[in-house]
Amino acid sequence: MFYLVGLGLGDASDITVKGLDIVKKSKRVYLEAYTSILTVGKEALETFYGRKLILADRDMVEQCSDELLADAEIDDIALLVVGDPLGATTHTDLIIRAVEKNIKYKVIHNASIMNAIGCCGLQLYNFGETVSIVFWEETWQPDSFYDKICINKKLGMHTLCLLDIKMKEQTMENLMKGRKTYENPRFMTVAQACQQLMEIIQKKQEQGEDLCLRDETVCIGVARVGSDEQHIIAATLKQLTSVDMGAPLHSLVIPGKTHPIETDMLRHFALDDSVKAILQRL
Amino acid sequence: MVNFTVDQIRQIMDKKMNIRNMSVIAHVDHGKSTLTDSLVSKAGIIAGSRAGETRFTDTRKDEQERCITIKSTAISLYYELAEEDKVYIKQEIHADTGFLINLIDSPGHVDFSSEVTAALRVTDGALVVVDCVSGVCVQTETVLRQAIAERIKPVVLMNKMDLALLTLQLDKETLYQTFQRIVENINVIVNTYGVNDGPMGIIEVDPKNGTVGFGSGLHGWAFTLKDFAKIYQSKFKIPEAKMMRKLWGNQFYNAKTKAWEKQENADNVRGFTQYILTPIYQIFDTCMTKPKEDAFKLADKLKIKLTAEDKEFEGKPLLKTMMRKWLPAGDAMLQMIVIHLPSPVTAQRYRCELLYEGAHDDEAAMSMKNCDPEGPLLMYISKMVPTSDKGRFYAFGRVFGGTVSTGQRVRIMGPNFVPGTKTDLYEKSIQRTILMMGRYVEAIEDVPCGNICGLVGVDQYIVKTGTITTFKDAHNMRVMKFSVSPVVRVAVECKNPSDLPKLVEGLKRLAKSDPMVQCVIEESGEHIIAGAGELHLEICLKDLEEDHAGIPLKKSDPVVSYRETVSEESSILCLSKSPNKHNRLFVRAAPMPDGTAEAIDSGDITPRQEFKARAKYMSEKFDFDVGEARKIWAFGPEGTGPNLLLDCTKAVQYLNEIKDSVVGGFQWATKEGVMCEENMRGVRFNIHDVTLHSDAIHRGGGQIIPTARRVFYASVLTAAPRLLEPVYLVEIMVPESAQGGIYSTLNRRRGIVFENTQIGSTPQTTVKAYLPVNESFGFTGDLRSQTQGQAFPQCVFDHWQILPGDPMDPASKPFGIIEHARKRKGLKEGIPALDNYLDKM
Repeated sequence: MFYLVGLGLGDASDITVKGLDIVKKSKRVYLEAYTSILTVGKEALETFYGRKLILADRDMVEQCSDELLADAEIDDIALLVVGDPLGATTHTDLIIRAVEKNIKYKVIHNASIMNAIGCCGLQLYNFGETVSIVFWEETWQPDSFYDKICINKKLGMHTLCLLDIKMKEQTMENLMKGRKTYENPRFMTVAQACQQLMEIIQKKQEQGEDLCLRDETVCIGVARVGSDEQHIIAATLKQLTSVDMGAPLHSLVIPGKTHPIETDMLRHFALDDSVKAILQRL
Repeated sequence: MVNFTVDQIRQIMDKKMNIRNMSVIAHVDHGKSTLTDSLVSKAGIIAGSRAGETRFTDTRKDEQERCITIKSTAISLYYELAEEDKVYIKQEIHADTGFLINLIDSPGHVDFSSEVTAALRVTDGALVVVDCVSGVCVQTETVLRQAIAERIKPVVLMNKMDLALLTLQLDKETLYQTFQRIVENINVIVNTYGVNDGPMGIIEVDPKNGTVGFGSGLHGWAFTLKDFAKIYQSKFKIPEAKMMRKLWGNQFYNAKTKAWEKQENADNVRGFTQYILTPIYQIFDTCMTKPKEDAFKLADKLKIKLTAEDKEFEGKPLLKTMMRKWLPAGDAMLQMIVIHLPSPVTAQRYRCELLYEGAHDDEAAMSMKNCDPEGPLLMYISKMVPTSDKGRFYAFGRVFGGTVSTGQRVRIMGPNFVPGTKTDLYEKSIQRTILMMGRYVEAIEDVPCGNICGLVGVDQYIVKTGTITTFKDAHNMRVMKFSVSPVVRVAVECKNPSDLPKLVEGLKRLAKSDPMVQCVIEESGEHIIAGAGELHLEICLKDLEEDHAGIPLKKSDPVVSYRETVSEESSILCLSKSPNKHNRLFVRAAPMPDGTAEAIDSGDITPRQEFKARAKYMSEKFDFDVGEARKIWAFGPEGTGPNLLLDCTKAVQYLNEIKDSVVGGFQWATKEGVMCEENMRGVRFNIHDVTLHSDAIHRGGGQIIPTARRVFYASVLTAAPRLLEPVYLVEIMVPESAQGGIYSTLNRRRGIVFENTQIGSTPQTTVKAYLPVNESFGFTGDLRSQTQGQAFPQCVFDHWQILPGDPMDPASKPFGIIEHARKRKGLKEGIPALDNYLDKM
């Protein structure tokens, strides 16, 4: 049996009871370590579970699935995924490959940023399409996420923006030379994401397009959702570019049309009185 | 020789309308350097009191030993044109002073034609030297073609008349016909690659206008029709300019009627043969066969003043002296240069649009167009010249706009500079500006536009060539296109392993000092040097061993570069999925229409053209679909190579967000082909469809770049891949009797003869053949031994051709070559299987 076990968002103890049983009885347990990270490291998990874990990086999950799934017909193999296995990161492809090999599988769900984001006070029912904001490079500056935010906003829906995580990226040169040298991990902060959004806004303004976002639009920055150090701030886009939300991971929410109760909740997270004043007018 | 102080030279530099920048170009052994010597001895500017020797321009020891020019050398000449001759000049001049001629003597051997390219860039005119016995040869054509393409105005000198008269004993009419044919041949080339009466004005050469000279560099004499028209104008009472027209072509003088006729008949004689060749033949005849006294009488008649010493001579030396005194080569050529070649002011007006990549009305362009010494600086560095200080180089180039001066802070832009970015850009100060004259350099305070000079202290910022400017929005000057490619390579290693750092440093210096040589490190750690031919490599290796690295080296046998291509369209629509399986690319590869790759090489189709105009051109000339040709994403490898990436998709969302990554994969795949990691050539990749994850994070470079490369590889493997091998055009001069040896040698080496012509009425013939470069090693020696040393081949890279055979078939020749190349590069054995790259739906 191949188990996909969600670990939740906070720390080691967020695993479900069912999940923990599986971890304990499985022959091999892999920890998927490239789409997200827990606030605690691999060692903390090993201590908590009382067993060894094998780190599975991108290459392993995407290209060496044979190794990962080896003997899964007979033995129990588990892949631990931060959050929910089928949440923000979709491991559907791995499941398809398992099914093609006649391997049975089971998914143990857990909390994901996709639902835990309810912590900011906006109702999950009213969220539109989720987008990712990626690190811009000198020549690669995609901005299609802005268009999606606009579509959501026009329909009055909130947008959850997941922020880029670069765990083990190769530079173009290393990729071409086939060298397994990786850059240091990078995590996008709320401030960086807002900065990029502001740049897009400026560009769109120069092109004379109607703007769905402005510098003074109130957005919600969240950090380390589900952990004890969870941090939420509601502020204008411009203010958020200079707010330090602390350690990763961060996400950003752009509210659509808000219900009075949603507004009330947001006011608790407001950065200062000026934000409260804007929220009051909504 | 003229003695000038640096200050005096600097003063003439300001008279920009009296400057002529010119190169001397020709086939090997047609006598450039010897001719140049007679110019130098007549008018060479020497600062201080440095004496000149023979072959003034061949500065290297090996050049003097081998009697060939390897590196181009610049020298300056000063000439004062006679007042009455100034009417011939069709452009503005400063009336009160002489002319400064910056002359660059360049190598004639094809292996060094990159030196010629570098020389042409910094000059505006060219003196094309043609051996009148062998006529227009392959290298004459190559360099002339390049000159025309660079908008360089040519004048011609028919050299080696002494040989025609003394050795071959040609009769007068045959000699005239020979000249006539050479002029025609040259004008055919001029018209093929340029537009007569286009932006450059008249570029066809014509003896009647004085743009063709005749003479003997070895004997030191030469003339144009103008010289003889001057002699005869009083006799015929026809003004000089009009008289010139009578001395060429079908102009016959009838002594009885005293009239010029257009038809030849028994009573009349051709002007050229009668009034020019006859006296020359007479001097030759008299000096060589008659008693000395007859010769002295003739000298008196022709008003040649012989000194007492001269009268001691006999035979050939006497002939030389008389001819040299009668028709001094220096004067004839200098007149031709000063009168017919353009000044920088004239030339920059029409060369600007060709050479400058930015807007043609920005400040830098205007500075160049107007040749304005007060405008922003615009200078092109065409080559790096080693200094006596080991490891340092002078940057040699031409100031096109503004003034370059010692201590000036400038922007140094390499060939990869992109306006508005900091890529390949340095801002540094120029340590010193210098004058480069033959083997000497002299410091000079500053150099205004229109002149050629060297810079000290910028060598570490320039790899081979670059643009130097003070205008912050300036674009690059166009990079030079070489007519030859580095198709032959050798691997080098040091005999003593601890010398490796010296070797690496030496290779860097070698790469800098030669405009074309490529030094690369293979994946396997091998150091590869690639050059144009065996001789070029030999010289490079010698320089490396003795000079740049200074260590003993081990050299491999030369090997040839190949190219990878396809011969059909991909048999299936190839699909590759990204590692996360969310993105899918669908691509087909196909061969490009014939001639497209060559058009990209020659710059007729470039990535920088306006896309609609380019698409129109490509559809008219090469039958591309206009719609598709408008959607060219990239050229590759290196962004400029002869492979195309075309977007043939219909309405795919977010496609532009992955464009960069796909192009990255394309550059990578075309640089290292699937078969043996050689460059690809002549392949177009059509992206037919793309499926993408809707979220940007799942389609970043890490996902798309390797996928793109895989799908391109898959599409090549399904499109009947082939190897291309480089082919030389060989021109062999050989007496008819020894031709048999040529055919047998060529046959053994897969060579194909396509032309065999007799040179005039001589027993010499010219055989032209195509010879695969792979078969050319040792060809020269083999040929010599087969023809008792009578055949002289010249090999010049001509084209790429498909090496027959399926590379997948273990019995074929390409298979063997690929195996060998893979082994050399340290790759896994065998062409990778298709399923490494192709994914199932």
